[in-house]
Parts: sequence; C-alpha cells; structure tokens
Amino acid sequence: MSKTVLGISAFYHDSAAAIVRDGEIVAAAQEERFTRRKHDPRFPKNAINYCLEEAFIEPSELDTIVFYDHPLLTWDRVLKSCISIGERSKEQFTKACASVLGIKIWVQDLVRESLGSLGKLDKLLVTEHHMAHAASAFYPSPFESAAILTLDGVGEWATTTVGMGEGREIQLLQEIDYPHSLGLFYSAFTYYCGFKVNSGEYKLMGLAPYGEPTYYDLIRKNLIDVKTDGSYRLNTEYFGYLHSLRMTNERFETLFGGPPRNSESRITLREINLAASVQKVTEEVVVLLVRHARKKTGCDKLVMAGGVALNCVANGKICRENIFDDIWIQPAAGDAGGALGAALLVSHNYFGIPRCVRDDGRDSQKGSYLGPRFQPQEISAFLERNSYPYERVISLENRTRIIAQAIAEGKIVGFFSGRMEFGPRALGARSILGDPRRKETQSVMNLKIKHRESFRPFAPSVLLEDCSEYFELDSESPYMLIVAPVREERRLPTDLRQALRNGVDILNVVNEPRSDLPAVTHVDYSARIQTVNPYDHPDYYRVIRAFKDISGYGVVVNTSFNVRGEPIVCSPSDAYRCFMRTEMDLLVLEDCLVWKRMQPESHHDSTWQTEFELD
Amino acid sequence: MTRQILEYHPVIGYRFIPNLKARIPHEGGGYLIQTNSSGFRCCHEFKTDPTPFMKRVLLFGDSYTAGDGVSNGQRYGDKIEALANAEVYNFGLPGTAPDQHYLAFMEYASKIRADLTIITVLVENIRRIAARYRPYQNEQGNTVLFSKPYFTLINGSLELHGVPVGREPIKEADLPEQSREFVDTGGRFASLRKIMNRVGLKDLTQRALHYQPLPEYDDPQNSYWLLMRAILEKFIAAVPKPVVVMPLPLYQHVEGTADPSGYQSRFSELADSNPCLVHDPLPSLLKYSPTERRSFRFAQDIHPTPAGHVAIAASLAPVVMDLLGMKKVT
Repeated sequence: MSKTVLGISAFYHDSAAAIVRDGEIVAAAQEERFTRRKHDPRFPKNAINYCLEEAFIEPSELDTIVFYDHPLLTWDRVLKSCISIGERSKEQFTKACASVLGIKIWVQDLVRESLGSLGKLDKLLVTEHHMAHAASAFYPSPFESAAILTLDGVGEWATTTVGMGEGREIQLLQEIDYPHSLGLFYSAFTYYCGFKVNSGEYKLMGLAPYGEPTYYDLIRKNLIDVKTDGSYRLNTEYFGYLHSLRMTNERFETLFGGPPRNSESRITLREINLAASVQKVTEEVVVLLVRHARKKTGCDKLVMAGGVALNCVANGKICRENIFDDIWIQPAAGDAGGALGAALLVSHNYFGIPRCVRDDGRDSQKGSYLGPRFQPQEISAFLERNSYPYERVISLENRTRIIAQAIAEGKIVGFFSGRMEFGPRALGARSILGDPRRKETQSVMNLKIKHRESFRPFAPSVLLEDCSEYFELDSESPYMLIVAPVREERRLPTDLRQALRNGVDILNVVNEPRSDLPAVTHVDYSARIQTVNPYDHPDYYRVIRAFKDISGYGVVVNTSFNVRGEPIVCSPSDAYRCFMRTEMDLLVLEDCLVWKRMQPESHHDSTWQTEFELD
Repeated sequence: MTRQILEYHPVIGYRFIPNLKARIPHEGGGYLIQTNSSGFRCCHEFKTDPTPFMKRVLLFGDSYTAGDGVSNGQRYGDKIEALANAEVYNFGLPGTAPDQHYLAFMEYASKIRADLTIITVLVENIRRIAARYRPYQNEQGNTVLFSKPYFTLINGSLELHGVPVGREPIKEADLPEQSREFVDTGGRFASLRKIMNRVGLKDLTQRALHYQPLPEYDDPQNSYWLLMRAILEKFIAAVPKPVVVMPLPLYQHVEGTADPSGYQSRFSELADSNPCLVHDPLPSLLKYSPTERRSFRFAQDIHPTPAGHVAIAASLAPVVMDLLGMKKVT
C-alpha cells in the first residue's frame, strides 16, 4: 500500500513543508519563498499548498501529517529552565509561553483548520526535533549505514546528538542538552558582532578569515569547557539567552571589551578577530565530536544536519581531517529540513517503508531541487499578461550559448530554471550568475545587484570534472556546503591581514584580487564550492559548460537570486520584480530571455528597500 | 504565490494554460486543478471521434462549471460523468459568458462528435455578454482592463466584434467615457456591493432591501435578454443534439431572497421556440433545508462548494441519463 506523508516544521524560524511518498521525496519548500518574508516562522500554509500541488493529492488522501518538534517536551524545557533561573527569567518565560502555549501545542487544531483534514490517520504525529534532523541527514544520504551528528541552537532539550542510522532504523546514542549549545554559542557571537541571530551566522563565518583568533584562549578559558570527546559545557554566566531576549550579558561584554557592535557601524578589528576566534573554537568542537562519532558508532560514513552543519568552513575542515571515508550533509540543515526529516522518519519508521539506497552511489535528495517549477507556457503567459518584452529561445543549445556569452561579456544574469531549491543556498535554479574571472564582478554584484557592501566573496559553481583544476577538493560538493582552498598555483600574493592591522577598512580590501578567480576567492584563498554534475540540473551544467567553451573556465559565480533582506525568488513574478530592482542585464526565465535594455523605464523599481527588512 | 492559470487566446480572450497541474489556495482549504492540452480544465484530452462504448457530453459554462473553489473531481460535471458513466468534456471557463462559450465551441469543439451538449448559463451572465472589457490587477497592483470578444444584435442579426482580441492591457484611465459602461463589474451597484462586502453586511442588506439582482429578465423585450437569446439560439443551432440549457440560479435565488420568475419565464420561452430542453435546477435545490442551501456556497466566495456541486449534479443527472438513453441510478 502506498503511503504519503506530509511533514511540517514551524514556529521557530524558517518554517517549511515536505511530502514523501513511499519513502521518496516528492516536494519540499520553505514558507518564506511564498510569503516573501525572510525566515518566516509562521504556519507554512503556502508551502503545504505547494507540496499538495506537487503530489497532486487532497489533504484527506494523505496517510498522515507529522510535526517536527514535540511541543510538550519543549514546554517541559521552557518551564524547568525558567524555574531554575527564577524571577530573572520573566522576560524569556513570557516570550516562550506565547510561542509554546500560544501556538505550538495547538498545532493539531491549526493543521485541521487549515487543511480541513488530518489525513487518513486522523491525528497529528510528532517527532522529536533532533530526531527529525537526524532523519533528514540519514535517509536521503547515499549510505546504507552511517554515524549521525546533529548540531543546532536547541530543539526540545537536545542541542547536539550523536547517533547511528542503519537501513531504515535510526538511534540517537548520546545528546547534549540545553542550555549547553554550540549553535547558541555561535549565535551569541553573531549577535555580539552586530549581525542578526539565525541568519547572520553566515556573515560571521565569512568574516573569520580576515582575522586572527586572538580571543581563542579567552573563549576557551571562560566560556566553554570542551572535553576530548567533543562534549562541552557553556559557562552560562556569560550568556543572556537563558533569562532574557538578548544572547549575551554584561559579563560577556566586560570580557570582550565593550557593548555589542551596532549593526550599521563599521566592522572593527575586534569583531574580525572575534569571528576568527569563535570559528576556531567551533571547528575544534565539531572535529572532536566527529572523531567521537566515528569511535562510538564504528561507522565509516558520516551524515550531519542542524543549523551548525551549515558552517561550511567547519565542514571543509572535517573533510580534510579524513576522519570518515565519506560525508553527507542535509542541504536544508536548519529547521526547514526538519519537515523533510519528520516525513521521512514516519515513512520508514512508523509505516515501515523499506529504505532504498541508490545503486549508483548518489543521494536521494534530487539535487535539493524540490520546490515549484514553472512551465515555459506559464512564464510566457505571465510575461504577455504584463506586456513585458521578451524573446523565446526554444533551442536549448542556442539559449545556452546566449547565456554563456552574456556571462563572458561581463553581464550579470538572473537564472530561473527548473524546480526551486530546498534549503538556504541557490544552486542554479534561482541564481544570479556572473563571470568569476573579472575583478569587478564582486563589487558589481554586491553594489548593483545585492545592494550591499560585503566582505564575503561569492560562491563558485564549478563543473564536477573540472573541480580539482581550480580547488583543492577531491569530493563532490553539490550543495555548496564545503569550503576548500583555491589551488596554490592560481593564487596571487596579498597582504590583506597586514592592511587590516594597519586600520584599513575591511570593505576597501575585499575587492582586491587574490587569484585568477577573483570574484570567488576569499581572503584566506578559500572558496565555498558548488560542484555541478550533469544529472541533477542538466540545463545549469550546460550553461557552465558553454561558458567554458567560450572562456576556458568551467566555473561561474553563483549567488542567490534576491536582493538584500529578500528571500530567494520563487515565481516568475518574484524574479522579474527582483530583476527590475537591480542592475542585472539578462533574466532567463526557462526558455524566455528578458533583456533589461528592452524593458520599459516605467517598470524600474526601487521599492525593495522599504519592502524587505535588511539583514 | 498563486500560479497564473489563464493565458491569452485571440478568439475567446483567454483559456487555461494547457497541461497545468496546480493547487489554488482558497478559503475552502485549496483545490486542485488539472487542464488538458487544449487549455480547458478537463481531465480528458479532446478527441473528435467517439470513444467506443462511451457516451460523450459537451459541457459549457463559466467558473461554476469550470469549478472555481473545488477540485476537478468535485465538480458537477465530473459527478455527472460518474453517475452516467459518460465522458464529460468540460469547456468551462471562469469569467466568461455564453458569447465566449459559443466561440470556444467553434474553436475547439465543432468537430467533436458528442451525444449531448449542456449549455450552462449562470443567469447573471446576461450582463457579462454585454461587457467588452474585463478588469485585472497587474504586477504593480493597478487595475488594468483586457478586451473581450462580444456580439451586438443589430436588426435581429448577431455581429461579432473584438476578434482578434487585443493583447495589450488598457489602463482604466485611458478608457473613453462612453466605453466605461462596457466594463464587466459583476452584479449591480458594484461600488456599494464592494463596501457592503468589506463590512460583512452584504447578505443582510440584500435581504432587508429585497434586492433583485437581475431585472434584465423582467421584460422579454429587454435589450440584454434579446442579445442573450440570440446568442443562445445561435449556440443551440450549432452544437450536437440533443441540447440541454441549464440556467444556474444565483445564491439569492437558492436561498429564497430573490424572485427567479423573470429568468424562469425567459428560459421557458427559449425552450418553446428552440430545439433544446431547458433544465432549471432551482426547484430541486429549493427542496433542501435552508441550512443545507447555505452550505452550497462558501462563507465568502459565492461559488458552489463540493456540496453545491453534488446538489446540481443530483438535479441534472436524471435529465442527462434520459437523453443519453441510460438507465437511471437511484
């Protein structure tokens, strides 16, 4: 009997839905893409609508619906934590009450009200948060058995788990509980350095290579006690999140020499070195945990999920340490992936659907292209309905050549092709592409497209077969989750760190070329790599291939298709709006090419600054 | 994100985007739509030759027939298909009227061999046939107008205008004053209706004022009716026989707040002088309790709910089965 399961994650950040049929992932999407509100935590009614559309079933035909988090266990944690802290936790308690008692425990009613049905089982199932993460990492992986490591801010109680998956069984063997959390530890520094918690962690990671880990000893001595097996305890006296809505407290500020950085103020050497220090500590803990997972499980493969697994610098380090023979990381490693994990867990564990590992060694995540697709006819109908000038190039060969030529001429191309990505990274379905050889690509993309000044370089999408020509990486990185060095012979000598020590603004040095791929090479000669194979997204592969034919380089710059503060575009309408808000030259909407020079002046739009909350 | 589901058509004005599968968010929870390669919300591909051992019905209508608010399988056309074991070719198109239905027949169905044709006329569409423009909200959130094909009746003969239909949207402000009366604004008193809808008092006000939505049917010589009658006569003459014309009542008629006698008389006259059978589903709908009748439309959206479609199908099925020579299912 066929079994179709809908998984839902919501009410923390980045809510999502996923549908799994007989163990196969049919669809998954984040709510933010539909509501256009970044990290939207609300009930994912639009994402659910999409998943039902893709599976083409009525809610009543679902075998069951599962929520990724156990509301009563979360409540248990909130209550016990607040009691242990006493009156000081009033602020935190009030907020947690609103979240847990206000919404989470009524989730079954909410689902029934929204969908009109709870499926054939007529009740909502719940999983535990880290079990959902573990399932999202293990089941789609290409491994028959594997060690599992999950790391995030907090679930119900757990913040870190080590487990093992075999066949369709998952066991969590050990866990570290709240308030000791590597995710919250990293987020505390994110907050302190003036970035937004739950989204700015990525910036902190990008800032780290500019600095020296001068605060490493201070952090290790005062904030975190790490054992040889990777288990750790935080010194909660320094953190504000237990009893307030701030991540750090006065003691933390005293330790690091002053109040948190204001988000709009200049980044100083303090933040740069703090970023480097916390990154070093995090990598150290993660590597120890990974070693422990190997020892504990005896497995030679590792899978990972949870928000900390998005730290691609740490991931790169794990790869280079060769602790495991192979590693697979869930691309939607954050809470969004919990929806997928929960649905997979129920499919295999509750309904007993056998898990089929692919014979060809590939994973079952389908390139993470699990979101909506728009047919060419839908796109042309949209363009015509709005009288937007375009040309339709049905020949794939011709179209690919035009796109590649535009990139090679230094044009910036919005590339909208196939099913939208699930997870935070644009992987060539909703991407902005540019020429990595050009020195000016980075600043043009930052200032004219993203509307920001950034110290982070863009990511390269490289043909899988050419990866080792450019980067010191000998494995696949299809989900842009691994950072690896640019090959030594491609590097250019720089002394940017010295310049920073001399007080030069970080933004003045960021655009200095550091290799023959200046737009994608970070200050430490690293790059956040996406390897592109011919199978997952053939059209994207062809574009890079055609670019190589013209330029000799099998690499393009790939950044997410959005402006600052905006979720990645989902529909042709989102894409056109973003295109007109930026200085992109060409918008590719499947087989329709929309050139900026052909668009009426009246459609130019600068309202993005008021529409999206800047991150 | 709501998918765009309609695309330009040079003769009809628009049609569904072909081969589409979508789920449309809706107050009823959302509904699944599937279109065929001809751009109609029909699960069958249109074939000209008969399907062996299967009766075929051509079904025309607007959003009530296309099934706004419900999934394909929940529509009265699909229910009839199941009850009568026939294939129903659904040509329903939201926002259209018999003028465009006739054009859809000429474009897509004139060569199709069928055993029965059902022409469903939402009675309110007596106004829509006179419209020449339909409003639409564009990407910038502004209301723009799109042209539609339309007929005029001059000295007793119908003349088609506006084909090919213009592709370009027209700004409301650019429309000449004398053309503004030809914008399809739905029912009567559009502005007042909007306000009453916003404050949630529409139903109450209509009841209190004994609102009669369709005075156009009161007089057999009314120009709107004469146009409707001429279009239907042309349509009836063109389609495969036998023909059922089904005037679909508004919810005010179903819920007993408006007088249906005007439209009932006009359609009865149409049946008297044309080779068609008029099936009025209102008498059978009125047999349900007031609570049940209210459940035939959504809380906000006036389109039929799944229960509404079942009720329409229950009324229509015996007629269809009689005409197809099939045994009635009790």
